[in-house]
Amino acid sequence: MWQERQAELLREEMEAFLAPLSDATGLYNLLKESLNKDIQRLSNESGHSHYWPLLPLIVCEAISGRCEHAIPAAATLQLIKAAAEVFDDIEDADSSESLSTIYGSAVATNVATTLLILAEKGITRLKGKGVEDYIIVYVMDTINSFYTTASVGQHLDLSRIPGIAVSEDAYLETVGMKSASTVECACCTGALLATANQELIDTFVLFGHNLGMAAQIANDVLGITSGSDIMKSRITLPIIYALTQTGGKARNKLESAFGKQPESKPDTVQIRDLLFRSGAIHYATIKMEFYKQQALAILLEAEEAGVNVKRLKLFLE
Amino acid sequence: MKSKSLQELVKKIFGDEKTKSQFMANPDSVLSRFDLTEQEKKAVLNIHAKLGLVTTDSQQLEATIDPTANWFSPTL
Repeated sequence: MWQERQAELLREEMEAFLAPLSDATGLYNLLKESLNKDIQRLSNESGHSHYWPLLPLIVCEAISGRCEHAIPAAATLQLIKAAAEVFDDIEDADSSESLSTIYGSAVATNVATTLLILAEKGITRLKGKGVEDYIIVYVMDTINSFYTTASVGQHLDLSRIPGIAVSEDAYLETVGMKSASTVECACCTGALLATANQELIDTFVLFGHNLGMAAQIANDVLGITSGSDIMKSRITLPIIYALTQTGGKARNKLESAFGKQPESKPDTVQIRDLLFRSGAIHYATIKMEFYKQQALAILLEAEEAGVNVKRLKLFLE
Repeated sequence: MKSKSLQELVKKIFGDEKTKSQFMANPDSVLSRFDLTEQEKKAVLNIHAKLGLVTTDSQQLEATIDPTANWFSPTL
């Protein structure tokens, strides 16, 4: 299967990224530990056909027929992803299994910083794949630009005043910067390693944006159905809809669960039921589907331009 | 991108029994009363076909939710 081949190539590349630190056993093991979840996911047969760090390979292959050029870039994004997750855990301090909880925030910060340095260092491995210097510089600049946007989105999110619901537009703008930009980056990187056609590169940035938005909203829906976002009083798209479209007792209940001083133990079943009955979950699900439809329309346009989009369509199924 | 018409449609379907029945019987007819884009209409109809827009429960939705849902850390 092509997914297994690509997953294997990415796993091998990540090993090569970490190899310079193999003698520093303690740190090396922590780096591996922070990547373990993703490595396991790459080994999981059913998981990797929808796994976004493979997107640079899939996009590159869709355009040029070869994915080898994109392997170091995909591994770079994988390491940045792992670093971001370690930093997120330090910021949130709500996971008993996180590196920062187990080893302390100082050790976790050093692990995340090392992952970022190795990620940046790893981009130079593109040279060994025969990629020209100016393209390597372009890739580095592209990755840093998208992740600067993601950092701004993260800052906007962290700067939010708890209990104050943002507008839907502001929310979508924040998730676009914080989450969708990372998927845009993966698609853009894959495209620019395959073609110099800027119009086609831009097409894949747009595809990545819509795919990333759909994924974030799917995450929002899952956060409600699983109850985790209700427990943590996280204001996501379904909550924003419900707070603006309901009144009376329903709204009061929502305000006590998501307001300035939320209940410490909200009734998740009751809130979830309320969100279903108000149509909030369905609204978010439709929005998710809307972004997927936009992504599909973009792929169909690319297909007309000669791009083989078959594997990319799997992300929309 | 916020769609006021999409919000109004969902509010009407979930807040008004008559509209809900009409939607169940003939979704296209209800959709035509709202100023939706073609992709919005398609999104509504796809979700309705996949999940049953007004009848889905939590377990049913969770079982069919997009596998991309776990791409991001749930910090937002």
